[in-house]
Amino acid sequence: MPVDTEKEISKMHRMLHSTRNEIGKTYYRWRQVAIEFAGDDAKPLDVSLRAAEIFGKDIGKSFLPRMNWLKGEEGFLMILARSLAGLWNTEGGLATVEKGENPGEILIKCLRDPWPTWAKEYGAPMEEVALCRERMYQTILEDVSAFMNVPLKIELQKAISRGEGETVMRLSKAEQG
Amino acid sequence: MAKTLFEWDYSDYPGAKTYPHLFKPIQIGNLMVPNRIKYAATEDNLNGHDGFVTDAGVEYMRQRAIGVVGGLCFMQGVYMDEKRQGQGYVGQAACWDDKFVPGLKRISDAIHEAKAVAGFQLMDCGRVGAVEVDYCHGPSAVPQRLRIFKPVQEMTNAHVKTMIRQHVDAARRGIEAGFDIMEISGIVGYLISNFISSYTNRRTDEYGGDLRGRMQAVVEIIQGVKDVCGADIPVGIRLCSEELLDDVRGNTPEESMETYKMAEEAGADYISCTLGWQESIYPVISRDIPMGNWIHLAKRAKEHVNIPIQMAYRLFKPGLPNEKIGAGELDIWEICRSMIADPHMPKKVAQGKEDEIRHCVACNLCLARLFRDAPMTCYINPVCAHEWQDEFANPKAAEEEKEVMIVGAGPAGLECAYMAARRGHEVHVYDKRDVIGGTLNEAKNAPYGDDELWTCIEYQKVMCEQAGVNFHLGTEVTEDLIEEEMPDTVVLATGPAYSRIEASGGDSDKIVNLLDVMSGKVEVAETVVMYGNRKPGIGGALHLAKQGKKVTIVGKEKSAGFDVNPSFKWRYMIYMRQNGITVYNDCDIEEVTDEGVIVKAFDGVRWPIQCDTVVISDRGPNESLKKTVQSEGIELFVIGDALIPRNLSSAVHDGYRVGIRL
Repeated sequence: MPVDTEKEISKMHRMLHSTRNEIGKTYYRWRQVAIEFAGDDAKPLDVSLRAAEIFGKDIGKSFLPRMNWLKGEEGFLMILARSLAGLWNTEGGLATVEKGENPGEILIKCLRDPWPTWAKEYGAPMEEVALCRERMYQTILEDVSAFMNVPLKIELQKAISRGEGETVMRLSKAEQG
Repeated sequence: MAKTLFEWDYSDYPGAKTYPHLFKPIQIGNLMVPNRIKYAATEDNLNGHDGFVTDAGVEYMRQRAIGVVGGLCFMQGVYMDEKRQGQGYVGQAACWDDKFVPGLKRISDAIHEAKAVAGFQLMDCGRVGAVEVDYCHGPSAVPQRLRIFKPVQEMTNAHVKTMIRQHVDAARRGIEAGFDIMEISGIVGYLISNFISSYTNRRTDEYGGDLRGRMQAVVEIIQGVKDVCGADIPVGIRLCSEELLDDVRGNTPEESMETYKMAEEAGADYISCTLGWQESIYPVISRDIPMGNWIHLAKRAKEHVNIPIQMAYRLFKPGLPNEKIGAGELDIWEICRSMIADPHMPKKVAQGKEDEIRHCVACNLCLARLFRDAPMTCYINPVCAHEWQDEFANPKAAEEEKEVMIVGAGPAGLECAYMAARRGHEVHVYDKRDVIGGTLNEAKNAPYGDDELWTCIEYQKVMCEQAGVNFHLGTEVTEDLIEEEMPDTVVLATGPAYSRIEASGGDSDKIVNLLDVMSGKVEVAETVVMYGNRKPGIGGALHLAKQGKKVTIVGKEKSAGFDVNPSFKWRYMIYMRQNGITVYNDCDIEEVTDEGVIVKAFDGVRWPIQCDTVVISDRGPNESLKKTVQSEGIELFVIGDALIPRNLSSAVHDGYRVGIRL
């Protein structure tokens, strides 16, 4: 039976989007469970930020085998930034990486992000999405910093709440503290 | 006057004439060692999970001690802390209390019975330890690169001093247990190497900072151990000559050489030259690394220190170490995996029986097993870790002599043949090919060192000749032949049956068999689909990619090379990427068309792949002749790939197990 390539690709494309959509929704269903179990005294944002830390800790471990200093500090930072952007893209975002104006500064820009849409659907505040992204990346960097013995920081520069426009995060070396 | 423990005279050993430098004595500290051969300490996971020595561990060591013909024989490194943070293997021997001394003495006694020099090794596994507890320890809490290892707790200053004391106490117990030479393990990511490396030591106290600070704990350990050992028991250390951690800013090779000098200054009587960590991204000892690839590091080490230098690392045959010792570039030939594969390897060298050596094939299954909390196993040596089971290691002669027909002269059939013949059976091996070796004749043509697999057949051939096995090559076994011969037992070792593509186009001329491809019997076009994603398919794909073909692998297994042990599989994954091979797992071929094939994934998604040749490497059991044998009432065994297609190791182990049962 001959293959209708267009049909097969569109089928896979649909499956990919359905899978991403279901994963996003599943996150918010579990978020609801966690908030209920946390009790009335717990703030939903705190619960979500704790989840972001757990995600970041685990994802950070998977980053470590790829960390490589052979291309120097700038090369290392660029590889790291691309890994962070790649993570966003895997979730359905459209993130790119570019050098910042200052040396050792890299910007991760996300032009499109599905998370605010899911958040809205499940009644989670929009700012939570951006803060959780920031916390997750910060947690990833904790292990990467400790592993490579390079203090790193990432800061949210700009967030577009509805997932349209541009979210910008700045990755750079932190001052030795 | 140096102390001599046992007198050895090698003048009657032919190997001592062929390799004179291997069989001349050497002084280490105040100890005179009769030859230049060392079985290097190797974990085997054969001890109790409580750290006590077992019969299995003692007999394993006894055979290696016989093998070194008077040389150095080191037992596995012991862990030294009661909290077990330094324990890296579930079956690692312990030495944190005097209660372990009697068990350890059994090992030194076994080594001495073979008139060999008993070596004791102190090994805190550092950041790769804590196999039984939640946290390992290290100079700094640097996160683990590999998930398999536990989180690291930074040692306090007091904890470091305790650890140094534990080394000294354990050394004292080793002496009480009768060992003759002491060794500190500072390799591959264990605690000593953690202290030395700029990657894992970020301390600011006296045990960190510059290289001298990072060496401080090591220096104190060497000096403390020297104090308890006195003048007659030499103390050596295994140290990285290159960490291969430049990607994570580890020590430079120049720094490593400085550590050698500092160890010598601290009183070390010899250095075992090693390289690489378990976290290194470079391969060091797998089959794809050429023999002798690292021997130049021993020469460099000798240029920096005046004490004896020992080294292993892909030195499987005696020629090169003999040459390098003669040239003054190495002092002692260390052997690890080669003596796992054949515990008597150096003894056979001495006896001039090199053709009787069962050579290691550098697959690293032994390591893969240890890292997964399993007892030592050797891919190629079925007796490994069974030395203590006499019925397995030294099977008795058969009670009843049988006429045994073995169908297939591949590794399974040959292994079974010589074992059965050795036990008194009349064994006849048939093969439709004119040569022995079965599908290894083709498999050995795969790149990245697979030619070394053929050493298995060379060994089995010699064993069969010695055992009086009868060969009938170029003879296909048929129903008529079985009825005519009517043997008492038939062993089917025919190798696998290659799959067919049960789909439209399955009879296409573009479909060829892997064996014909690997032997060069058929022409292969420029674009190829390899059907089957196990080891044979990967080997075949790499073979073709090396010829410049564009190769795509399509296979039903969920991951390519799932039948390859993890300690080697990562090499294949890299080579497939480097050679531009695309892999589709969890897929089948739905149709063979004029343009190529149509692939169908497990979830029903289909896509075309253009190709001009389809190579079948997928295999199934081979059941031909089984019914005939059964209907004649003849005892039947099916072994190797004929039973279930697996790998060389399974073939050898199947053959051995049936050979001792017949």
